[in-house]
Amino acid sequence: MSTSFPFPRRGPVRLSFTVGLLVLTVFGLVPAVAVLVVSFTNLRGLPYLPVDWVGIENYLTFFSPAKWADSANAVGNTLVFAVVSTVVQIVLALGTAILLNRPLRGRNFVRAVVFMPTVLGVTVTGLIWSLMFNVGGGPAASVLGWFGGESAFFGDPHLALALVIVVQIWMVVGISVIIFLSGLQAIPTELYEAASIDGAGGWKAFRFVTVPMLAPSITANVLLGIVNALQSYQLIYVLTGPSNKATQVLSLLVYVQGFGGQSGTTLSQSQGYAAAVSMVQFALVAVISLLSLWFLRRREARL
Amino acid sequence: MTLTQTRTSSGSPQTRDTRVQHRRRPAIGGYVCAVILLIVFLFPLLYLLNTALKSNAEFIADPVGIVRDPQWGNFFDAWRQGDFGAYILNSVLYTGAGATIGTFISLVLAFPVSRGYIRGGKLWSVLFVLVLFLPNALITQFQLLLRLGLYDNRLGYILMVGVGVGVGPLLFSGFVSSIPRELDEAAAIDGVGYWRYLFAFVLPLAKPALATIFILQAVWIWNEIILATVLLADPAKFPVTVGLYAFKGTYSNQWPLLAAATFIVAAPLIVGYVFIQRYLVSGVLGAVKG
Repeated sequence: MSTSFPFPRRGPVRLSFTVGLLVLTVFGLVPAVAVLVVSFTNLRGLPYLPVDWVGIENYLTFFSPAKWADSANAVGNTLVFAVVSTVVQIVLALGTAILLNRPLRGRNFVRAVVFMPTVLGVTVTGLIWSLMFNVGGGPAASVLGWFGGESAFFGDPHLALALVIVVQIWMVVGISVIIFLSGLQAIPTELYEAASIDGAGGWKAFRFVTVPMLAPSITANVLLGIVNALQSYQLIYVLTGPSNKATQVLSLLVYVQGFGGQSGTTLSQSQGYAAAVSMVQFALVAVISLLSLWFLRRREARL
Repeated sequence: MTLTQTRTSSGSPQTRDTRVQHRRRPAIGGYVCAVILLIVFLFPLLYLLNTALKSNAEFIADPVGIVRDPQWGNFFDAWRQGDFGAYILNSVLYTGAGATIGTFISLVLAFPVSRGYIRGGKLWSVLFVLVLFLPNALITQFQLLLRLGLYDNRLGYILMVGVGVGVGPLLFSGFVSSIPRELDEAAAIDGVGYWRYLFAFVLPLAKPALATIFILQAVWIWNEIILATVLLADPAKFPVTVGLYAFKGTYSNQWPLLAAATFIVAAPLIVGYVFIQRYLVSGVLGAVKG
């Protein structure tokens, strides 16, 4: 207790702090920690069934030959979804931010429009894009039709993940644009003047002034993007359903294993197993975000 | 409306600098890109409205053409058949109550920690960061409510989304330092107790920060769908996201009706967005700095 406490009694501080902490702990932290505990049991979705410790059996099952096709598919989809959507999102957001940082008329309106999908949410976004990619003659099908092509869009297993990534980027790119714009506005104009005296304009100014000065914004965007994308599944749930193999990411596997996507297979629906999948995903998120943080910080230091 | 709001939120002094810097550039290319951006982001919404106004027959005959005979009745039908009035009321309740709980938690936790009024100091700040990186706890959230008798219960769902405070406590600890410590001391000398101080002095001073925290969480809760699917079973308790998703399952072959329903859900969000945009922007930027 290094700092002085001006109020007459400490009771009220402790009480309100404890109440807040208690609610947060019971409903937020306890479930989070309990996932790890449950992942070592054979807990099921139905109440009052006996629960036994099974050690690391759930984890062994995840990597077992019988399940590995499903597991590898989900891990692969998660990684592709996260990496591709983050990289494309950042490139597009950087371009958009540089554009909107120029003295264009109505750029604040454009910025507001680009940021708007943030409030629309996954259900509305998902339905809008299901309509856009409607197989029975939506706008996308029409454009494709002009060139004599056709596609099942979200129904095409080779295309579904790519389209989900497109919609994901449409939905969240505005956040990255905002972060980049605030980074761009913090770059002192003198740097560009100095660069132009040195004969560096256009691409060179971008490469040697803009990118290094934006390094913190890039770090923030990569981390935010990849952590969000590794865990996001609500949009995929709305667009292609939870059990579609072509787009099933780890979070959806948790949902399907824990709460059943298919009916009639109650025995295979172990929530203990689903919790183990959660932990595998958690480990993946931790490793990837720490690796990218380490890599980006090293780059920042070098620049 | 939007124009003035965004300008105030993005720091105008720097804006003027960049203006000078780029003045010599011809801007035609820039305008072309801006128009492409507008099309990419506005066309889907306009197409949604266009579809919502068509009759089923007109949509099947010509799905992409501009509507010839607007069917305003579609909105009425969708509203009635989808029971969206009840769903929206549920969502308003969950969002209002959940975001209030979350903002309250952020306030009562972050203020004393940031001031050092609670034993533990830095350790609690670590906790504020930790809540951002919790594992997917769908299974245990369900089990916890089941065991507490709060499964398929409005209060249970509100508590679950209420504790999804995200960056709230972190944002608020950052804000507290802008309230002078002398104010605490002056108030205490005048005999103001801690709670009165927190809610009658700090709360009004921190309104912009608390509004940002509230709105960030409210947008998240309003759009949440998976937890609601897992934690609620009775359709009468569904929030509008689950209701709309269920509506899609029932009327998936009637796109005009489905589009009308989607538009009903989207319209208040778009109108509300005009007013909350600057809070969202400051929330995103505050979260990045934290």
